[in-house]
Amino acid sequence: MPRFVVMRLLQMIPVMLGVSFVVFISVYLVPGDVARTVLGQQASDTAVQALREELGLNRPLLVQYGIWLWDLLQFDLGYSISQRVEVASLLGEKIVNSFILMGFSLFLVITVSFLLAVFSATHFRSIGDRLTIFGTLLLASAPTFWLGILLLYLFSVKFPLFPTSGMHNFYDPGGFWELVHHATLPAIATAASSIAIVTRVSRSAMIDVTNKTYMMALRSRGIRRRRLNYVHMVRNALPSFVNISGLQVGYLFGSAIFSEIIFNWPGIGLQLYNAILQRDVPMIQGCSLVIALTFVISNFLADFIVRALDASER
Amino acid sequence: MHPNAETIGTPRRAAKPRSSFFFIWRGILADRYAMCGALILAFVMVAAIFAPWLAPFDPTVSFPRLRLQGLGTPDHILGLDHQGRDMLSRLIWGGRTTLFAGITPVVLSALFAIPLGLVAAWNDRLGSVIMRVMDVLFAFPMVLLAIMLAAFMGPGMVNMIIALTIVLLPYNTRVVYVAAQQERNNSYIEAAIAAATPTPKILFVEMLPNVVAASIVYSTTIVGNIIITAAGLSFLGLGVQAPTAEWGIITSDGRQYLFNAAHISLLPGIMIMTVVIAFNLLGDTLRDALDPKTRLALASRK
Repeated sequence: MPRFVVMRLLQMIPVMLGVSFVVFISVYLVPGDVARTVLGQQASDTAVQALREELGLNRPLLVQYGIWLWDLLQFDLGYSISQRVEVASLLGEKIVNSFILMGFSLFLVITVSFLLAVFSATHFRSIGDRLTIFGTLLLASAPTFWLGILLLYLFSVKFPLFPTSGMHNFYDPGGFWELVHHATLPAIATAASSIAIVTRVSRSAMIDVTNKTYMMALRSRGIRRRRLNYVHMVRNALPSFVNISGLQVGYLFGSAIFSEIIFNWPGIGLQLYNAILQRDVPMIQGCSLVIALTFVISNFLADFIVRALDASER
Repeated sequence: MHPNAETIGTPRRAAKPRSSFFFIWRGILADRYAMCGALILAFVMVAAIFAPWLAPFDPTVSFPRLRLQGLGTPDHILGLDHQGRDMLSRLIWGGRTTLFAGITPVVLSALFAIPLGLVAAWNDRLGSVIMRVMDVLFAFPMVLLAIMLAAFMGPGMVNMIIALTIVLLPYNTRVVYVAAQQERNNSYIEAAIAAATPTPKILFVEMLPNVVAASIVYSTTIVGNIIITAAGLSFLGLGVQAPTAEWGIITSDGRQYLFNAAHISLLPGIMIMTVVIAFNLLGDTLRDALDPKTRLALASRK
């Protein structure tokens, strides 16, 4: 196990370097001159030159990347063009907010899809099973941005049960339940399609396990159906459940961007959206990099948990 | 007498070679869910292709006095939007844009991924370079990479299609790469090498047909996802631009009018969902119909 962890950590280094290089080089996709685009067509040539100097655009490409990477290692992501503050100083708070939303969403994905999958697999081909499958088809096909708007319409506008936006009330800041109240709708919107995928995959994993010979052996020994289902079936389907849940983290990051925008959740997705609207290049880079690196790390963690749970790997 | 003498003596008539379309058709006929999906898609595609003739109004012409009117307004069944444009016409025209923007990247990325994957599977050294680059692209969440690329390239339909093509490339290339690596060990390839067939011919004549199926199967499972992503990019203002009717843009337009005219936002989403469900229903059958291992079962099944 320690060997596996060290190997995986070492493998992460080139991937992270590659990710940072892609984020760095993407600036060259900006049509024309980056500095000119940022400052607008009316900007004076001296201002453009000054910004080019500041962004390091006058130096050779690899030197630029080296300097950028060196700054990055010291948590320096440059200055936000629109807000004139350090990108890194803004992102710290935003990423925490995003983690809160992601945490709620992941909790929903794990609990809801686990319960649905166990229900579906133990009631294989019943009406309940069919309804679950149909429900997952609907959820998997609904765009997050639309689902968010639908939830907003139903539960904030039609029946005002939940707040329309933000993380806290201004007059009543803090409190865990206040946070849960605000996070419910965005978390559902973020989690929906992942719930659908995880439910489907773990349902078929559980059905596969039920058909295994060792399950037949247990059944023939007269072990109670309940114990068979809730102990043996679930335990043996757990690695594939964790595996597919881990893979969802990437989808969650993508969906969270949309629900943060719709529910005005002050996370890194909303920050990215605002940066795009303001054409704030360093901020777009910073947000993308932070999300991508978090994704790489969370994939590693998911791998690690799957490995720890899988009996045959121990 | 040899037990198989009869079959040896009178050879069974060789199975007639069938085209892939035959198997797809049989698969769709045999499965009512796939049939449903195919009908929905056919309906939406026809509406999209013949939008100029089918849409009752011009999607950009507004009736200012009727703005924000809801469902069931006379002459405008699906209501009107915030500028008083007919929603039904906008949805029909929007389908045209959304489907085009969602399907084109899938086709384009397959066109690039097939040669990339074939070459990567053939030449180990080149292959490890290509696949390492793909690994780096894999390290991004799909939607994030699409948003980042589109944001840097600037808004517009063409840029969005380029961004989505790049995003899909690693997934598609890996599918082709894995399929081609399996093919490489088959004896027909060995025979081709022994016959001194030039490498390009082995790759693009011998191997290609067996690899294309894998790529098409993957494409059918991903196309719904890409339609959602394309609409999402337009929703963010990174794709198709405002006066054009597009499902993502219409959803985004309606956000401010959720209190008094929720239909503007909700209708296009229902359209996206319907189309994606149809693709998903059809996807499973297409996968069976294009896979040489399962396709024969489809033909024999009634």
